[in-house]
Amino acid sequence: MTSYATQARSAGGCLSGPGVAGQEGWAAPDARRKLQLLLAGIWLLDAVLQFQAFMFGKGFAQMLAGTAPGNPAVIAGPISWSARLIAQHGVVTNALFATIQLLIALGIAFRPTVRLALGLSIAWSLAVWWLGEGLGGVLSGAGSPVNGAPGAVIIYALLAVLLWPPRRERPASFVAGRSTGPAVARALWLVLWGSLAYLALQPATTARGAISGMISGMAGGEPGWLAGIDRHLAAFLATHGGAAAVVLAVVLAIVAVGVYLPRPAVRAVLVVAIVTAAVIWLAEGLGGLLTGGGTDPNSGPLLALLALTYWPLAAAPLAAAPLARPEKA
Amino acid sequence: MAGQTWLADTFAGVMLLTAAYCLARLVISWRQHRRTDHQVDAIHVLMGVAMAGMLVPALRVFWAGGWEVIFGAGTVWFGWQAIREYRDRAALGRLRPHHAQHALGCAAMVYMFAAVTTVAKAASGSGTGNMGGAARYPTLALVLGIALFGYVVWTADRLPALARVPALVARAVAVPSPAVVPAGSADALDASPGAANDGRSPQRHGAPPLSPRLAACVEIAMGVTMGYALILML
Repeated sequence: MTSYATQARSAGGCLSGPGVAGQEGWAAPDARRKLQLLLAGIWLLDAVLQFQAFMFGKGFAQMLAGTAPGNPAVIAGPISWSARLIAQHGVVTNALFATIQLLIALGIAFRPTVRLALGLSIAWSLAVWWLGEGLGGVLSGAGSPVNGAPGAVIIYALLAVLLWPPRRERPASFVAGRSTGPAVARALWLVLWGSLAYLALQPATTARGAISGMISGMAGGEPGWLAGIDRHLAAFLATHGGAAAVVLAVVLAIVAVGVYLPRPAVRAVLVVAIVTAAVIWLAEGLGGLLTGGGTDPNSGPLLALLALTYWPLAAAPLAAAPLARPEKA
Repeated sequence: MAGQTWLADTFAGVMLLTAAYCLARLVISWRQHRRTDHQVDAIHVLMGVAMAGMLVPALRVFWAGGWEVIFGAGTVWFGWQAIREYRDRAALGRLRPHHAQHALGCAAMVYMFAAVTTVAKAASGSGTGNMGGAARYPTLALVLGIALFGYVVWTADRLPALARVPALVARAVAVPSPAVVPAGSADALDASPGAANDGRSPQRHGAPPLSPRLAACVEIAMGVTMGYALILML
């Protein structure tokens, strides 16, 4: 069996410069670690987007307040309160938000703090899902897969749970199953993608011109190539919106149940999930990243990353192998 | 500046600190014969000063177009180094894409200066405006920013693999010459000419290298700040 020290040395080959590979107990990134690093990268992008000028102004607070209408009073009240607070202290609160996200990103990327950072990301994501996204519009009836429902930020929390480094690995043929167990991981997948399918059949998506309006609304401020794609897509869906919503719902439902299929079929389903996530991301206008007002990349990249955590691994399932503890010599 | 002034000042301050630190590394390496990557430290000095000037106009120290030439040359140089590293992969049995990161950083600097100049000329015709907002080819800014963030998390992940200075001092005492290091060991990686200073400048055997962890922290700070500057240009 390869020792951690040996792994550290072989991994040291990826590095350069004086003093490389000096620590024993450091292993080359495995599949989970690579996915954690992707998550850290998205958090880092999120953090830097939060540092944009727009986020320090009144517009950001108004955007947050805009998620309250339609929600039950018990949900909407705290949203309005936090939006008022942010409006009054925009610079301080936004600097704090961006710094927290930056710490989460670097904390996930830095191995000794990965658990702390993932735990913080779960708490932070849940708070933002409520106070910043109005629970993704799920209760207000405004939620649609095309506008990011059930909320990009809740997928951050889900990813943190599925990519959590456990003290003892659970036997599973995919990364997500090794933290929570395969049954729980598959159930979480079913709930998320099933809820997306359900939302695709709600009036916010199926109503005449609903999808078209959402997509054309994203085009403002985007560079020409992306605005062109969104405008063409919106024009097409202006007349075929209802049918497109049904097709989307069927695809999402197939993806939802697909993780229970045999291994080769799972791969095909996950490819469909990634392609669907890419199409959703295009419809989301890449989350408004290129407009100077995007707070995050929206749900598309997170759904794709989530799909990768369910990708069947080539290696045999682990049998309760220890993690993150160097072998004794 | 399209962003908050205090924030730009903070990032500029961080950049000046990193530039000063990298300059100190070069001086210490020269005076005490301690190993460091001179090319990388030198480009970080230039990047730190250039970034500070980009974020805070009062800190600009160069003529229009000067930085583009410098970082354009840096892109070519580090790009060539990265290609050589890629070619050496088969011979060494490992990939060390160290310089690709710096080629990317230099390319991002060229983009930012070119975009700033273009926007400034379009806005005022003077060419002296500051960065921020509505740069040409914003998609390229996003792609460069995401690539830099990728390198930031990649570097942060490997921080625990980098030895602390006391360990390096102990190793320098225990391993007086690269010639006695077993090939293929982690120490060999450390002591190999390519890992230390590309074998171009003589170093005293036994002298410990300068802190690799702090060098990695410099790269993280540079990556985050450059990514911030690029995102401001969207």
